[in-house]
Amino acid sequence: MTESGSHKPVLVVGGGVAGLIAALDLAALGREVELVDSAPRLGGQVAKLDKIYPGDHCAFCPLWTEIKRVEENENIRIYLTSNVTTINPEPEGYTVTITGEPGWIDESLCVFCGRCRDICPEQAIRPLWEHASPPSFFIDKTQCTQCGTCPAVCPTDAIDTRRPSVYVVLSVADIVWATGFREADLTPLAEFGYGSHRDIMTSLEFEKWTAESGPNQGRILRRSDKQPPRSIAFIQCAGARDLRLLPYCSGVCCMHALKQAQWVKRRSPEIDCTIFYTDLRTIGRDYYDYGLKSLHMATGVNLVRARPGFIRPMPDGSALALNYEDTEAQKIRLERFDLVVLNGNLRPSLVPSSPGAPAPVALDGDGFVDRAGDDVSRFACGFSREPADIAEAVLHASSSVMQCVTREKGRG
Amino acid sequence: MKQSTVFLCTCYDEIDRVVDCEALRTRLLKDPRVASVTVDEALCREGRMTGLAESMNKHDESVLVAACSPLARGDRLLQDLAKEGIPASRVQLVDLREGCSWIHANDGPEAEKKAVDLLEMGLISLHNKEASADVTVKPAGRVLVIGAGPAGLAAAAALARCGIAVTILERGAEPGGTLGLISKIYPDDITPAERLGPLREAIEAHPDSTLRPRANIVSVSGYAGNFRVRYTSGDREYKETFGAVILATGGRIFLPKGHYRYGELKKVITQMELEGRFKKNLVEGKKAVFIQCVGARCDERPYCATTCCPASIKNAMRIIEEEEGQAWILHRDIMTPGNVLESYYRRSMAMGVQFIRFSPEDPPKVKGIDTVESVEVRDSISGVTRTIPADLVVLSTPLVAGVDTPVLAVHFGLQLDSYGFFREIYPLHPVETRIDGVFICGSARWPVSSEQAALQGEAAAMKAVGLLAGKTLAASELSRVPGPKLGHARADNDSCSGCGNCAAVCPFDAIRLQRRRDGGTFRMVSRVNKFRCKACGSCLSVCPNGTMQIPEASTRSIFGMIEKAFS
Repeated sequence: MTESGSHKPVLVVGGGVAGLIAALDLAALGREVELVDSAPRLGGQVAKLDKIYPGDHCAFCPLWTEIKRVEENENIRIYLTSNVTTINPEPEGYTVTITGEPGWIDESLCVFCGRCRDICPEQAIRPLWEHASPPSFFIDKTQCTQCGTCPAVCPTDAIDTRRPSVYVVLSVADIVWATGFREADLTPLAEFGYGSHRDIMTSLEFEKWTAESGPNQGRILRRSDKQPPRSIAFIQCAGARDLRLLPYCSGVCCMHALKQAQWVKRRSPEIDCTIFYTDLRTIGRDYYDYGLKSLHMATGVNLVRARPGFIRPMPDGSALALNYEDTEAQKIRLERFDLVVLNGNLRPSLVPSSPGAPAPVALDGDGFVDRAGDDVSRFACGFSREPADIAEAVLHASSSVMQCVTREKGRG
Repeated sequence: MKQSTVFLCTCYDEIDRVVDCEALRTRLLKDPRVASVTVDEALCREGRMTGLAESMNKHDESVLVAACSPLARGDRLLQDLAKEGIPASRVQLVDLREGCSWIHANDGPEAEKKAVDLLEMGLISLHNKEASADVTVKPAGRVLVIGAGPAGLAAAAALARCGIAVTILERGAEPGGTLGLISKIYPDDITPAERLGPLREAIEAHPDSTLRPRANIVSVSGYAGNFRVRYTSGDREYKETFGAVILATGGRIFLPKGHYRYGELKKVITQMELEGRFKKNLVEGKKAVFIQCVGARCDERPYCATTCCPASIKNAMRIIEEEEGQAWILHRDIMTPGNVLESYYRRSMAMGVQFIRFSPEDPPKVKGIDTVESVEVRDSISGVTRTIPADLVVLSTPLVAGVDTPVLAVHFGLQLDSYGFFREIYPLHPVETRIDGVFICGSARWPVSSEQAALQGEAAAMKAVGLLAGKTLAASELSRVPGPKLGHARADNDSCSGCGNCAAVCPFDAIRLQRRRDGGTFRMVSRVNKFRCKACGSCLSVCPNGTMQIPEASTRSIFGMIEKAFS
């Protein structure tokens, strides 16, 4: 089984933690892997996190190690800024088309010197993200006026606004889905007030905004006036466990909020942090302890069992008003917060953005891959399969690879 | 000493505009350790490093590459050299861009001084580098699985499907583990036999796989690819060699003595006892009260055991459906994360299971004289204290670490967490341990449902197959860093005084003291197992004699660099 030179490669869709480990595991068994990711660098959502729980170190180092191993592996071919656009069954596998939509800066050539960024009159050129490795800039196509200034200063000729789409047709034996999650739009749920004030942000926006390598070098500031907030409200189950949007529990948000509150306290102990929760779900190794630790820290994180009635900007826009029922005190309260972080709006990426559009795989009612649905949906890992944290996503990956290679044997 | 070739990158002026590369070149050429210096505009250009490497004498020259950070493109330059047959042990990378010219962009003279120091340190390191000798082993084809619960059987079945022979050791008389005590599995309502049956069939289909009941480990030695294990099964003792080991010994049910009048009142039972009664159709109770977090999320056991909430939901639904009774679940936080369990929770509410939240400061009270009569609980959401007439109280208790885990941890050199479960390599290797070739899964790792246990079993099997896939296994492959690992520690027998400091601090259990004949007498010396060593350097720091060295990063090179940096 391991000396399977005659096998067709396996397609892994998504280069986040689940996809990386799936690719490495397949390669360790001697299989050829085609790894596709829509972003310009591997790493997925975890690459964009500042810290991970419960170890509290940054996500980047362990992740970078795996990315390097993938890049060095001769059995793995990587397609970045690419998507799977067609899938057609063929004997013992599929013919797939991979469409690459390259950005205007060739990320393989950019040496990150910054001359284009410095010269751009529209400030349309920014780094991919803080930890992208190797670092590279990209041009925001919505801001760029194609004035032609930047290509002239680029020492590597990496900038070209006419880079064509690339099409690759591959024959693969199986497809492993590892497409992760994206954020669901919270504006339809009026009570959260998302979009009504710059200081109401989702937890992933907050993570980026307060990251040590981010725009504020780890300082905790409001987005509206760049001043430190006096109080922050973390709202759990925003959009999740809610039949109007996402009926399921997103699984990772309780720990994510505890982590963020704890890091706020570490950096700025004077900021008041309150987590508004329904059930505080801390079920992994060291998770419950982690929660206790944030409660017992010097000034402590407050826990209130409540869902918000409404969150609204104050009339003068200086802060936010939060109305809620403290269910354990049986009191309805109206309180002022300087910043609100919404947690829970995570939706599997495979759910089509426009309703009614077809998905490439069988999905269940919640939008997760229905692995019993049809043959192309058999192998899924990470958040595309069910709400999963890093360890769970990695476990899905290895188990899917095991099922995939043993199924090959049966098929051959 | 062989001379070094230096490649100096100006990075399209990014380095050159702060640090004068021509001046550096002139300076380096005066150094007797330097053979030649090439200044290049961009070493990272396609094919550039390959071209430069081709012009070198690859057999003995060492290379100093001064360019950007390894996180930018520096590591790629080294990769290109490695492809050309110049190994990492003869290359040193110096970061002159991020670490020097960018960060000191406003202070040219200081940046230049730093660049000179960095290059000097690079040369010192390069000239004290040696390559570690590698060793290989032909891995044994057979895998040992300890524990025949859902995790162990899933691992063994996956291995058998891959054509790998498995020996499964089970402490009890029959396979099944804790799952064997359960009547039905949430959320699909299947029986343990339905879950384990297909796994057992897959194992039995492999002609060379064996399950040994009533087994006990006697001793373990060896390393990845070559674990030598002595064990007993019944009255017989066996000795076998395994390529990899999967630990799936599960957890143990916590018995709630002293909690909620357990053992004092009739009809106060544990969840497991209820499972047993369901199995035998002996459930007596039309008004069942389930109490969650009994002995969990408390000072003694500050963790959530994951499986108890869904288990209570399952059995509460069975009381309603099968016994036509009523069920209350008294809980703290309901732990049903994800999509499947959350909808299971909703289904139970629709069916009429009543959920009452209590606060741990004000726990429920079980009332009755010699049998259960009622349960009094303060509903923390309404603030009202309610008295529930009950004829059955079911205590949901956590899984705790198995009795075998400490012994197995010693046998295999594993770490336990503060609750006694096996610790993994955090965060991206959940079934791997710090000992290569030893994998963990199921509730021996952390309390999980049988479905999760089986998934982890498959994942552990995957890692074992990956380890044994090659015909030979080299110590240098057993690395958790990209590329070849940074050598292994080496002990110089002549200077070793046998103090054992190194063996005591080694986190990978890689060092043993060995008797060695010295003239007419014996003395003890350290011996490093290259397969286990991860080149962490802990042994170097405690060795009083300088016996322990990592050839790629010897104390001479490290102290030389420090001396230079602070001179």
